[in-house]
Amino acid sequence: MNYLYDKSFEGFLTCVWHDYYSERAEGICAADGDYQLDLLRYGQTVETDAEKAARVLEAIERKISVWDAERLYRVQRTNEPEKEMKMLRYIRLGFRIGGRLRLLHGDPVVLAVQKAEQRLGAEAHRFCGILRFSSLGNNLLYASIEPDNDILEFIAPHFADRFRWDPFLIHDLRRGKALFAYNKEWKIAPLPADTKFAFSAEEDSFRTLWKRYFDAMAIKERTNPACQRRFLPARYWKHLPEMQNA
Amino acid sequence: MEEKLLEKLTVLGEGAKYDVSCSSSGAARMNIGRLGNAACAGICHTWTADGRCLSLLKVLLSNDCAYDCKYCVNRRSADGPRRTFEPRELAELTMGFYRRNYIEGLFLSSAVLRSPDNTAERMIECLWLLREAHGFAGYIHAKIIPGVSAELLTQLGLLSDRLSVNVELPSSESLGLLAPQKKPKGIFSPMRQILQAQREQQTLKAAGNRGRLRPAGSSAGVGDGCYDDLRELAGRAGTPEAIDQLMRAGFARGGTSAVQGSAHSGRGLQTAPRGRYRERFAPAGQTTQMIIGASPESDLEIVKLSEALYRRFALKRVYFSAYIPLAAAPELPPLLTPPPLKREHRLYQADFLLRFYGFTADEILTPEQPDLDVDLDPKVCWALRHLELFPIEVNRASEEELLRIPGVGTVSALRILRQRRIASVGYDDLKKMGVVLKRARFFLSCRGKYYGGKEREPVAIREKLLLDERTLRDSLGSGVPPQISLWDTLNGPAVLGTRKEPAVWSAGNELSVRQEL
Ligand code: SF4
Repeated sequence: MNYLYDKSFEGFLTCVWHDYYSERAEGICAADGDYQLDLLRYGQTVETDAEKAARVLEAIERKISVWDAERLYRVQRTNEPEKEMKMLRYIRLGFRIGGRLRLLHGDPVVLAVQKAEQRLGAEAHRFCGILRFSSLGNNLLYASIEPDNDILEFIAPHFADRFRWDPFLIHDLRRGKALFAYNKEWKIAPLPADTKFAFSAEEDSFRTLWKRYFDAMAIKERTNPACQRRFLPARYWKHLPEMQNA
Repeated sequence: MEEKLLEKLTVLGEGAKYDVSCSSSGAARMNIGRLGNAACAGICHTWTADGRCLSLLKVLLSNDCAYDCKYCVNRRSADGPRRTFEPRELAELTMGFYRRNYIEGLFLSSAVLRSPDNTAERMIECLWLLREAHGFAGYIHAKIIPGVSAELLTQLGLLSDRLSVNVELPSSESLGLLAPQKKPKGIFSPMRQILQAQREQQTLKAAGNRGRLRPAGSSAGVGDGCYDDLRELAGRAGTPEAIDQLMRAGFARGGTSAVQGSAHSGRGLQTAPRGRYRERFAPAGQTTQMIIGASPESDLEIVKLSEALYRRFALKRVYFSAYIPLAAAPELPPLLTPPPLKREHRLYQADFLLRFYGFTADEILTPEQPDLDVDLDPKVCWALRHLELFPIEVNRASEEELLRIPGVGTVSALRILRQRRIASVGYDDLKKMGVVLKRARFFLSCRGKYYGGKEREPVAIREKLLLDERTLRDSLGSGVPPQISLWDTLNGPAVLGTRKEPAVWSAGNELSVRQEL
């Protein structure tokens, strides 16, 4: 059976419930996914059910571990291809062997999940550095990002702490949602990607200053774009003022 | 006005980029040392066109120097534009950059503007404005100018996370010759004072917490207004129900699915809570730097000096910087002498042996062999001089003994010990544990078997090791573009090690030593 779900973690867990109690899953895929057309055609839509999901989550925490439940939650936030089936296989294996699941680094099932999780963590860490705020005036900071994975809530604690006296907004253009934070509290809400904001007057001069400083720090004789790109892949440049040609 | 600021920033940034004396070469990347965030891995904010990580705003407060150190571009007798930041100007600039998340903090250094105390006062003014008026809680590294008075040093220490006083040159004779206005006493008494301040702090841990600083009266007003804006934005973003749905945390026992939280909820990225800004004296400790190759000292003297500095002043790091001839003077190496990059690299390796591998300076070098071998790393050289201690059996050796094997690093030594508790370690396992076998195989045995070939003479082993080094360098010549150290850029061949984890390969030569020695 192929299951279609609404991309939420709860929805995924409901699929796991069906895999266990109704019919074994051969594929799980987002209902609005534009790939895997086969799955879409023959798939059955799963109604997200909070109660079923809670029971599955509880089973994962009890039979495998709380740590693994959180890991699965993070993997659900990645853009890993066919992540749902990889997670499902992980859960199935975990139900068989229990808490030592995560120690089996060599097992392809475990490795797949672990790799996806690491990529998410690495990207979140990277964005702690390469995210750029602009000032919207009245002290409000705004950043637009287009990360590969859905990292908003994983970078939230870092920025909510660092900018606890400045309200800020981090806009994930790719997913049409945003992180709103002020005074250490934060929340994530939908915000259409085409929402536009007006920057404050000083914004341009700070960008110019930064760009000039950035260029001055490079050593001209040893320009090495390949090396630069390895650390800072070009797909991230769009939102970095220092990478724009003045 | 803006043009002027742009120009200042460019000139004083450039000054900090090349200056080997008052500014830094080796500190482009470091961990955030503030208590509560000490475990946090360094955050790189961007990478310059040559591929180096940039995370701190590294500038001189001024390049208008009253001194005349022979080796320095900013010396009084040199030509070139002179610029000085207004303290307020630099504080605002730093704040503007930090708020936009361009940088992780400030690395402030300066030429001697009239006198050491006058310079320190300006630096204090700038840092004070940052901390007190702007409430800046980010990272600050300040360079101390030799000869600064004790009071000013105390103030600087309370405002900074890390301090450094440069020893500049490896001996007092050289200092007298090349930097006549700097006196050894002027360098070592601030170092001692920093050490004492930190010792006192350790005994009086809780003292001095005055909370986060914020200009009185402004926080409530500004903040609340903004929060309304935020709410309004959030309101526009979706229907009230949608937001409500987001706020519902019911399902999320254990916090696995809440999309809301507070800074310290610890979900997602494991970010340790940052300490509130406390009045603590340079919590990230002190470092120093010396110039290599401008004066005639042997490596033995240099390594001995670093050892003494680590012991006596509990320094966090000693940085070396290869001298680039920028000025012609009879006391200095002639212009166009290539900077001794390989020597710098080997010195960093020796420094690692001192700090992490339990070596002493006298073991690394001897009066008969007072200089490091440029072709082979100092650990291999030591092992070749002491072949009678080898091979070491990896399944029986203690941790100290394991660390003495060339090619076994601190990480792989730990892995060996851990693995041994479960099962004996085989030769094939060693590679997986990160041991560099092409070096290590001559010095270890595994389950009683030696893998280094028949010839056990130092000369023969040396030949084989050299061959490996050469092929390594050739293979690096093609393939991936190597990341450079600051000084590689000017002259000479790049000094490179094997690259395993790009993550630790971020800045200067000193980091390239992170390979397993
Ligand atoms: S004190 Fe000496 S080393 Fe420092 S800037 Fe002045 S001339 Fe250069």
